[in-house]
Amino acid sequence: MSVFKFSRKSLGIPYAVFLVLFVALPLLVLFYFAFTNGQGHFTFANLKGFFTNPNALGTLCYSFAVAAVTTAVCLLLAYPTAYFLASGAFRREGVLLLLFIMPMWINFSLRITALKEILTVIEGNLARYPFLNAVVGMTYDFLPFMILPIYNTISRLDNSLIEAAKDLGADDRSAFLKVTLPLSMPGVISGVSMVFLPAMTNYVVLDMLYNSTYIMGSLIGSYFSAYNWHGGSMIALVLLAIIIVFTLLTGRNEDDGTPGTGGALL
Amino acid sequence: MRNRKTALPAKKRILRAMPAALASLSLLAGTLRITGIRIAADSGESALSAVSEAAEAPADSAAGNHLPPAGTDKVTLRVCNWEEYIDLGDWSEEDTIDLPSGDIFGENSMVDDFETWYRETYGVDVEVEYSTFGTNEDLYNMLTLGDEYDIVCPSEYMFMKLMAEDMLVPLSDTFFDEKDSLNYYVKGVSPYIREVFDSHQIGGEKWSRYAAGYMWGVTGIVYNPEYLTEEEASTWKVLADPDYSRQVTIKDNVRDSYFAALGALKSDLLTDPSFISAPDYRQRLEEEMNDVSPDTIALVQDYLQDIKDNVYSFETDSGKADMITGKVLANYQWSGDAVYTMDQADEDDFTLCFAVPEESTNIYFDAWVMLKKGIGSDAAKQHAAEAFINFCSRPDNVIRNMYYIGYTSVISGGDDGRIFEYVDWNFGAEEDEENTISYPLGYFFSDDPGDEAYILTVPKEQRQRQLFAQYPSEKSIRRSSIMVYFDADKNDAINQMWINVRCFNIKDVPVWAWVLTAALLAVPAALWLRKKERRSFTG
Repeated sequence: MSVFKFSRKSLGIPYAVFLVLFVALPLLVLFYFAFTNGQGHFTFANLKGFFTNPNALGTLCYSFAVAAVTTAVCLLLAYPTAYFLASGAFRREGVLLLLFIMPMWINFSLRITALKEILTVIEGNLARYPFLNAVVGMTYDFLPFMILPIYNTISRLDNSLIEAAKDLGADDRSAFLKVTLPLSMPGVISGVSMVFLPAMTNYVVLDMLYNSTYIMGSLIGSYFSAYNWHGGSMIALVLLAIIIVFTLLTGRNEDDGTPGTGGALL
Repeated sequence: MRNRKTALPAKKRILRAMPAALASLSLLAGTLRITGIRIAADSGESALSAVSEAAEAPADSAAGNHLPPAGTDKVTLRVCNWEEYIDLGDWSEEDTIDLPSGDIFGENSMVDDFETWYRETYGVDVEVEYSTFGTNEDLYNMLTLGDEYDIVCPSEYMFMKLMAEDMLVPLSDTFFDEKDSLNYYVKGVSPYIREVFDSHQIGGEKWSRYAAGYMWGVTGIVYNPEYLTEEEASTWKVLADPDYSRQVTIKDNVRDSYFAALGALKSDLLTDPSFISAPDYRQRLEEEMNDVSPDTIALVQDYLQDIKDNVYSFETDSGKADMITGKVLANYQWSGDAVYTMDQADEDDFTLCFAVPEESTNIYFDAWVMLKKGIGSDAAKQHAAEAFINFCSRPDNVIRNMYYIGYTSVISGGDDGRIFEYVDWNFGAEEDEENTISYPLGYFFSDDPGDEAYILTVPKEQRQRQLFAQYPSEKSIRRSSIMVYFDADKNDAINQMWINVRCFNIKDVPVWAWVLTAALLAVPAALWLRKKERRSFTG
């Protein structure tokens, strides 16, 4: 028995090593740089620098705007799609779902390059619509990450709940609004967090589609190429803090949304 | 002019013909700042082939040569160079450069050939670990974060920084001994380059004491002559010209952008005949083009803001493709990449030209320097490193590198006429060709700018085409300026300026956006409160 226990535990060793080497250690380095100055002395100057720097804050706003619009567009496109794929006659049609997921199998820089040509045909001159391009590019990139979790939640919904709602006199519309929609919220929330956070930093899309305004990712890069490891690390750390806060918030809501708690009663 | 289409090495041609899609992969890699891909030099293979130029066989000349320290039998040399900046060999038959004085052909990579040559010449095994970097800043970060190299090839401002920070080992006295028949660098370096490297100093020391040139070039504008005249393209002001709104690109780095903005802002002064004819013109030009006073930085920031609103993109690599596919009409380019762009356009049967702005052009030099951390006091290593510089400076190897990468070597060949022969082979007019011009290159190949021996007869169009990009006219070189490295404070100031240009300022967030955000945040908050209230009733 003890041998069995030992082997179960040892299965976790590779991941523990990975965690230490590639998560914990880099994080420590990040903390070190963020809270030291060029001479290696402890300082809060970088933190203060971030929150008093109108560019850094402006970039944060711009990143938020790009990410929020991208997330909203993704949600508007993904929910009906996922609903359609997961319900009724198409429920078992894996092929259709595949069509929506397939783009994920192609390297994203290839997809963005193709998108660049398509957008050039449509817009004429890409450079005139930098914000739009960023949103289109990110939406194109992240849409599958929104569709999948929503699809999963809706397809696992207990159909008898909807039947019960209808037996109690709800028409299609209110059955959807009062049963399906609230019950699918966990999927929506995990979709949102899978799109929103990467969209704040994915500057490659902006670079490739010629949006010359920095977002958080490119701002960090510019600090590093100016040899300012300390300021750059602090920005990365602030970003990390935002992500943690965001995850905590959505994590709480996710619990609220699961069947059996308040969600079903809303 | 010979048909440059057949003059491209086959391998390079395949690379160039690769679909944009693949090219974007390298773009991505660049953007993610993945650098330092290590290509372990295959020392086994190199033994199979002899060095291409049998005439250079060392046995007969070894007498007066400086040898590696006795007792050395194996050296490892860690070289770090720009990406795609050396001949990788593997040419096809048709790439043979058939100069009158003999064929030149790249069979193996330059690195392999060096290993073979060093073993045969000095009887010492050398293993080259060859890696690459993407930008000067990347290289500096790699060096300061612990990567160790023996010899690297940064641009002038970066080796100035490395010199100032005392990170370099000076070149040995034997490297400058012209009596040594294998000292190809000192025997072959262009008088013009020698003068530049001798006359520029940092901390009281000449560049030439630490740095041996490799490639050089100028910055300018590649333009499509169907849409822009030469005159329109010959000014930095074209970048902010509303007539070409969203149809020009600029470089995505602070130094190049700063230089262009300075040129445009000071255009009136810089093109004033009395300024140009002043006796201290060169010195004053360099001062103006390195002006980083706070007032100037503020002006540059405003001007770059205008440029940002006018250009198609800030680019590091994509500008070449955008120029070739016709997305943009003009693009800020380094001369070596300009040659590449024009070659590529020629293959697609349309013409692009290169212009050097009237105000000034940024002349740059990439040079080999040896690192204290790598070489230290290891004399064997230093000998191998200096031999590597010399091997790359041997005229036939210079031609191979230039042919392969499209940039211009600092080597003019000295007594060896093959490099000038190669330029003539590449660009010279056919005998029966009409509409030719004479193109003097004495400034580079000789001490005398008007040297009759170095006047090319070329098709007229070459005055603004590949030849002009590879060897700019003496007139445009006269208005060139280097851009020095700035001390930490000034450097911080221009970097901050750059961030100001590229970032969205929080003060620019419109009121409606704040209101909208507040409204959007209020909705979920209200829902949550309502839910909480209800639950307290039911619970």
